[in-house]
Amino acid sequence: MKHKIAGAILLTILSLTTSGQTGQGTLTVKGEVGLPLTITTAGLSEFRHAEANMKDREGNMHKYTGVSVLSILESAKVTLGKQLRGEHLKKYLLVKCADGYQVLFSLAELDPDFGNKTVILADRVDGKPLPAGKGPFRLIVPDDKALARNSYEVIEMIVSFAKD
Amino acid sequence: MIYIPADNPLTVAGVELGRKLFYETALSGNNQLSCASCHKQELAFTDGKQFSTGVDGSSTKRNSMALVNLLWTDNFFWDGRAKGLEQQVKFPLEDQHEMGQSLNISSRKLSEIRSYPGLFRKAFGTATISGELIAKALAQFERTLISSNSPYDQYLAGKYSPDSSQLRGMKLFFTNPQPEKGIRGGACGHCHSGVKTTSQLYHNTGLDTIFTDGGRADVTGQTTDKGRFRVATLRNISLTSPYMHDGRFKSLNEVLDHYSDHIDEQPKLSPFLKDLSNQKNTKGLRLTLQEKEDIIQFLQMLTDSTFIKDPRFSNPSLISQ
Repeated sequence: MKHKIAGAILLTILSLTTSGQTGQGTLTVKGEVGLPLTITTAGLSEFRHAEANMKDREGNMHKYTGVSVLSILESAKVTLGKQLRGEHLKKYLLVKCADGYQVLFSLAELDPDFGNKTVILADRVDGKPLPAGKGPFRLIVPDDKALARNSYEVIEMIVSFAKD
Repeated sequence: MIYIPADNPLTVAGVELGRKLFYETALSGNNQLSCASCHKQELAFTDGKQFSTGVDGSSTKRNSMALVNLLWTDNFFWDGRAKGLEQQVKFPLEDQHEMGQSLNISSRKLSEIRSYPGLFRKAFGTATISGELIAKALAQFERTLISSNSPYDQYLAGKYSPDSSQLRGMKLFFTNPQPEKGIRGGACGHCHSGVKTTSQLYHNTGLDTIFTDGGRADVTGQTTDKGRFRVATLRNISLTSPYMHDGRFKSLNEVLDHYSDHIDEQPKLSPFLKDLSNQKNTKGLRLTLQEKEDIIQFLQMLTDSTFIKDPRFSNPSLISQ
């Protein structure tokens, strides 16, 4: 029954997200995943809600809301939890942005059994959609001391094995 | 990170062949243009023109980009349409408005020049010339165009003492302004980051509100990418005027004036240029004349006089004559 519900959720996500090509306002999840995803802002509600408060460079506090990146990876059937052992510990998540910017997390950094790092894919700030140039999707890493991984205009998440 | 494809390692023979090809006019449809026509060593491998002239007499769409430190680059052109140097070099060779000759014809012409089959055999183990091997040889040579002996490099190595203006300029270049703390900055280093003074990113720098050139959007098809162009290297920047993708600025002063005083605050403007200010409740960097001059003095520290005279990069046929 549990699997049927999970399957139904996944089908719902797919039905919401595969209607259009990758592009404006969409995020693709691919690479070492069991189920590649194309996520739209409308489909975001299918993932686990998450929010965090974070200061900007000027020191002003903002509330970001969106979904847990971990829940996206879980939906994409990425090796997490008990599967994250052995060679899978060499895997990372590469996040790509529209301007070419890229940031990286190890899967273990994100997994609750290891680093349990909170990373959010936000689509709203202080209750409003993210502004042009920063949205529709922004990565929020509230526990990072530096702001550099809080990337704007996220368009791709790629799971890969580290080489060497 | 360096970018050398596994199937095209740098070899002495490959680089030498690439160097010869870089200056080879037989690669153009009218036998008059080579890569070096638009990438002159004395101008840090640019051509000093707003737009370059192709074999058909027409002008290129965009300003010729500097060829420097490409070993650390894997996306090319102002719009990033080429991934890897091997792919990049094919565009100008075959573009009808640039060198205007197919790689098949180039291969045939080179095969008929006595020296080339042997040079290809030496470089790649075959005397059969192909477009792929022409591209590989050119890519090998271009990866050797490394500029690392500017006064800035010497300063980083502890061998050069900048004057006070250069030091002020360096600080401004790498500082983001924080008016609430009384910190002034030019915020240049955010995009022109690190010792490479570039990043492989695409930004709208507030040049236009109506885009006659789609820039990055021409590649991605995304309207949000309209007016975005590649962050250019600032290595040897004082030698590579005019500036911007369309060569609209003739001098560094004009560039500094733009970033300081004339950025068009529009929705597509890079978020890294939005709301930059050196004064509370004021838009724009509003750098002083002295601050602009100091930044230019720092930029001139990026001129590598040995790079533009290095015989390893010059026309081999001129040396042998």
